[in-house]
Order: sequence, then structure tokens, then C-alpha cells
Amino acid sequence: MTIRIDVWLYGELAKYGGEQAKAGFANLQINLPEGATVADLLTQMKMPTEERGITFINGLLSAMPGVQPDLAHVLHDGDRVAFFHLRSMWPFQYRHGASMIGELAQELTSREDKGIHHDYRHERSG
Amino acid sequence: MWIVRINMTDRSVKFEDVPEKYKYLAGRGLTSHIIYDEVPPLAHPLGPSNKLVFATGIVTGTSAPTSARVSAGGKSPLTGGIKESNAGSPWAHDLAVMRIKALILEGLPEDKKTFWGIHLSWDADAGKPRVEFFDATEYTGKDLYEVSPKLFERFGDRISFAGCGVSGEYGYGNAGIVYNDLAKRPSRYSGRGGLGSVMGSKRVKFIVIDAKGAPGVEIVDKALFDEGRKKMIDAIRSHDITKPKGGLNSFGTAVLINILNEAGGLPTRNFSSGRFEGAAKIAGEALFETNKQRLGKELYNHACSPGCIIQCSNTLYDENGKEITSCVEYESDWALGANCGIDDLDAIGEMVQLCNAYGLDTIETGCTIAVAMEAGVIPFGDAKGAIQLIHEMGKGTHMGRILGAGTETAGKVLGVTRVPTVKGQSMPAYEPRAVKGIGVTYATTTMGADHTAGYTIAPEILSVGGKADPLSNEGKAALSRAFQATTAFIDSSGHCLFIAFPILDIASGYQGMIDECNGVLGTKWTADDVLRIGGEILKVERAFNEAAGFTKAHDRVPEFMKREPLPPHNQVFDIPDEVLDAVYAEL
Ligand code: SF4
Repeated sequence: MTIRIDVWLYGELAKYGGEQAKAGFANLQINLPEGATVADLLTQMKMPTEERGITFINGLLSAMPGVQPDLAHVLHDGDRVAFFHLRSMWPFQYRHGASMIGELAQELTSREDKGIHHDYRHERSG
Repeated sequence: MWIVRINMTDRSVKFEDVPEKYKYLAGRGLTSHIIYDEVPPLAHPLGPSNKLVFATGIVTGTSAPTSARVSAGGKSPLTGGIKESNAGSPWAHDLAVMRIKALILEGLPEDKKTFWGIHLSWDADAGKPRVEFFDATEYTGKDLYEVSPKLFERFGDRISFAGCGVSGEYGYGNAGIVYNDLAKRPSRYSGRGGLGSVMGSKRVKFIVIDAKGAPGVEIVDKALFDEGRKKMIDAIRSHDITKPKGGLNSFGTAVLINILNEAGGLPTRNFSSGRFEGAAKIAGEALFETNKQRLGKELYNHACSPGCIIQCSNTLYDENGKEITSCVEYESDWALGANCGIDDLDAIGEMVQLCNAYGLDTIETGCTIAVAMEAGVIPFGDAKGAIQLIHEMGKGTHMGRILGAGTETAGKVLGVTRVPTVKGQSMPAYEPRAVKGIGVTYATTTMGADHTAGYTIAPEILSVGGKADPLSNEGKAALSRAFQATTAFIDSSGHCLFIAFPILDIASGYQGMIDECNGVLGTKWTADDVLRIGGEILKVERAFNEAAGFTKAHDRVPEFMKREPLPPHNQVFDIPDEVLDAVYAEL
């Protein structure tokens, strides 16, 4: 059994869409074995996980720059997965109260900063 | 420094010393205090008792980065409440270096046919600004792109201007105040709340400034200011979103289109869905690539105003490499694009250009067209029809005047029930059913639904509501209150709100902003004072609104958002009213 994932790549990540790349984005369908995870999807697309920032699975926020608790997230047939480049943004004030996958919600609420930041790569919040 | 009062009833001018109580106020803090102190809350917004106040920020006119901002304030013809609308322009810089702390337009002339221009220049002999009037009637009834070059021809290349378009002459609820950008385009706006009509009601068409010889801004503690400035520059330059060739400099604010679309929070076809199938075609990334294909090279964005090092203002070029418009902001792109079901970037660019030409607020205009689409005036997705409707607003046809009155009025006239407004002002591009935190701010801000009302700048803000979890409802109320207060402070500092992005991640940048302000004013403010000062501004705004007739019942999102589930998440806005009331109960 394979599952089919509806993948959206934005900005410079469109290059991982190969021939599907359009102006500023790419949309492709990727087949994966059942039980495949986000990490498997990245491997299949040959996209290093550090190159992605904000990520969504079915409209639920699943990763932010430097916080990627979604790598082991199991995907299902028909899932829509969107990867954003690191220059994209979603400021906290326009984000708080938006839906997230359980893994990310847990990760952010357990942090002292409650996930208010944009960028977690350098832990530079001070 | 002076408060300059221009009474349009008799065109008299008064220079007043800055009273003690206004000494440390600037920007929004000052416009809102003056409106509260001087405008009767029940005044008609387009009548003689309303005032239009301009005030630059604390650090505007200095070398602080990204700080050439001006607040325009008055009683809003759109909401009937207090309004502050902020813009970046060389005009802000020029007003500040003339040492004019606030410019107040009051009264209105009996002769309604003549429109006036006001010319401000520096009188070196008298050591103060000179104010002159000129007949500006010849500039009325016309496209601002046609008229504004004439101002530069007449008064010289170094001038800057504030003004209103035909929309302000007609008295529309969606008329903004226009300012020039660095390339002399009439494209920077205090867009929201209809303040362009307050200007038009006073029969002022343009306020031109020639700042030649002006003394510049006094700085009490230069060393401290320089230290703060350096921290701010470092924060802006090192953050991915704001650094050169970073997110804003590459894609502009339209970089948010794809994000909100994926989140299911991009209001589509008059707020009937949170996802637009054409979003990727109109997003900032698409705009960047489209320009690259058309120009044969990468194009990075420019500054709207002097001294901005973020430089987020984009330009869209057509297939022949000719400019369609500048700039396509996220809000404009969304309002005239996704919200109208239009996925044609060039058509959106043309509409932005037309809004600038007629002096229209792009958000209110796009939301109103979407309501007209819902009513069946034209179908969703009809770009040609939408362009035609904007022309009708510009020409003042019957339909144009109905639409120019704003989304709420148009909804009533056209019998539409899905009308996305709070306090009479249409919502910007974040769906409260998908991003609930911003719904709390939309509902409770003094400004009517406003996306710029709730910025946060420091993680310490999280402790403001005690230990409240920001994801809980109580936490959302506490956060929204703190966000609104910090925003009121940034709007007073003179910095563009976009500095909030880097300084939230880089704490020294936050301190930098406070140091800069203390350096200019000689104050000893700390991070706590930021919240206190911001809170005081909100209190005054709130008090004005209460006296103008606003109650808790006005702090609500429209009913349909509580009833109609929004695809794709199929959620309603379910934040209880008590939470909304808690935002201001504890201020
Ligand atoms: S960041 Fe953008 S909007 Fe703000 S001052 Fe700079 S160019 Fe203008």
C-alpha cells in the first residue's frame, strides 16, 4: 500500500519540486509507503530539514525555524504538507490561537517562552 | 518645539508652546490625547468640531533606523470612534525636523468650493516654521498620480506632502490620507478609518513641507541615543525577516499570503473560506519570481521613507518591464485578491494603483467589493468588474458613493448579512476563526477591526497576565491587552511596527528602542514603562469611545463568525464574551 501526499513548496524550496516548479511555488503529489513520516517525505524529496522553516500538515502548524517536532509525525493518504523557506514569517501576534499538531503544541507550551518567538535556531531570545 | 494649530474657518495659524502634560507624548500617544482633550466625543466626524492631528514619533527625524513615521488622528467617519492611522513617508521626517510636535487642523470654511493647500517651510530669520496657504482647487477631482508631480514642479523637488484624493473630497468612509514615498509616488497611506475625509471636510487638499534649513530634532542624551540606535540596527540587520535580502526585503509583507493560506486563515471570497486555491499565484514569492522573469534580474524592495533599513516596499512590473504599482502590501494583495476570489497578480496591481490614485484605503475597498460580490453586483473572481467598481468610487457615481461609504454601509444597502466588520471597520487579512488570538484584538481594539493594534515586542510580556498560559482563553485576554499596549507605544516611538519582528527574538533590540527614546527625551523609561505608557494611551482612547457611545456590545466579532464554521478547519469563533470583556476590565 502506498499513500499519496499533496506537497506544497514555497519560495526557494520550489526547486525541490523539479519540473513542477512555478513562479514562487511548486505543488506535487508524492507517493510514500504506508506509515511514512515527515522525515521520510523529506528524504524522498532530497530536501535537508534545515532548509525548511514554518511547516504545516493539513493546515496545522507542525514546525517553526529551529523547532521541528514533526519529523516522526506519521503521514496519511491525502495529507497536505506545506514547507516554507526560512525567509518566510508568521509573527506571533498573527499566530497565537492558530491550530497546531499535538507534538508542536506540546513542545511550545513546555518552553519557558511559551513559543512566542519566530526563530528558535540560535536560542538567542536572551 | 511647537504645537501648530491651523484653523480652516478663517485660515488663522497659532504657534503654541508644548504644554507640560504633552512633553513626553508623541505619535499616537499625542494624537489620541489631543483628540480626547479637544474633540467633543459626539462631534460629527466631518463637521467643524472634529480635528485632524498629525504627530511624528519620539525618534522620527533622527538617525534612528526605520523611524520616519507619522500618526494621523481624529474622530473616524468610518467607526465614529477615535482613530490613529500610521504611515511612513519623507513627510514624517520633514515635519519632525521642523520641530513641529503636532500639527492640528481645526474648524472648516464656509466656502465649500475652494480647496486649500498649506505650505510649511523654515523661516530662518524668525527661527520657526512659516505657514502659507495656496489655492489648491485646481488639484481637486483628479487622479493623484496626475496631480502630485505638479506639486513637485511648483514647489521644488525636495518637498514632501500629505493630502487627500477625490475620495476625501467626496467624504467617503474609506478615504485615506496619502503621503509621497521616496520616489515621489503618492503611495503611502494613513489608510484606515476615513481620515482622508476629515481632511477633505476641512477643505485641505495638500500639506506641503519644504524642510530646507530646518534645525532637526533635539537629542538630550546623544550617547545613550547612539547606543540604542546601534542595538536596534544590529537587531534589524541580523534577523532573517528584516535583514537585507531577508523576508520583507525580498517579498514584502505579501510573504504572509501563503502562510495564512496554509494555516486556513486567509479570508477568501468575503470571509466564506480560510483557504484560496489561487493564493500561491498572488503571494509575495510569486511577485518576486514574476518580477525576476519580467526584468531578467532579482529585484529587492525599497524603503518607503528615509532611514528605513528594512525596506519592505515592493514594486510590480508588467511584461514590458514597466511599473504597474508600488507597493503590493499583504493586506492590499489579500483584500483585492483572495477576498474577492481574484488570482491575477497584474489585476491586483492595477487595483492597488487605482486605490492610490483615488485616495482609497485598500483594505476597506477590497472588503467592500467582496460584499458587493456577495450581493451579486458582480461575481466573485471578476477582476474587470472589480476594477470598474473602483473607478465608480473614483468618479463618484451612485454605486461608487455607496461602496465608498465602507463595508458596513455597503452591506446594509445591499442586504448582505456576512459583513466582516467590528465597530464599522472591515477586518484585515487574518481570519479570527482560524487565528483566535487576533480575533480578541480585532474585537476589543479602540480602532475597529485592526491588524496593527496588537503587536508584541518582548517575551517578558508573557508574564504580564500572571502565569496565564497564552494558549488558554484567560491568557489570550491578558496577551491581547499587553500587545495592544506595546503597540500603542511603538506607534508613539516613531518606529515602523515591523521592528517588532526582530526585537521579539533579539532582546537587545527591544532595549535599543527604549534607549533611543530615553536618549531623545532625557527620560529614564524601562521596559515596564513601555507597558504603562501604552496602557495610558489605550485608556484615553477607550474613554473617548465610551463617551462617543461605545459599550461592551461593540467589542464583538460579527455574529456570522460565531455561527458559520470556516473551512478548512471548520471552526467558529468561540472565545467567550467574558474573555473579550476581560481585555479592558483590567487595564
Ligand atoms: S519596514 Fe517597510 S513599511 Fe516600515 S518603514 Fe520600512 S519600508 Fe516602510
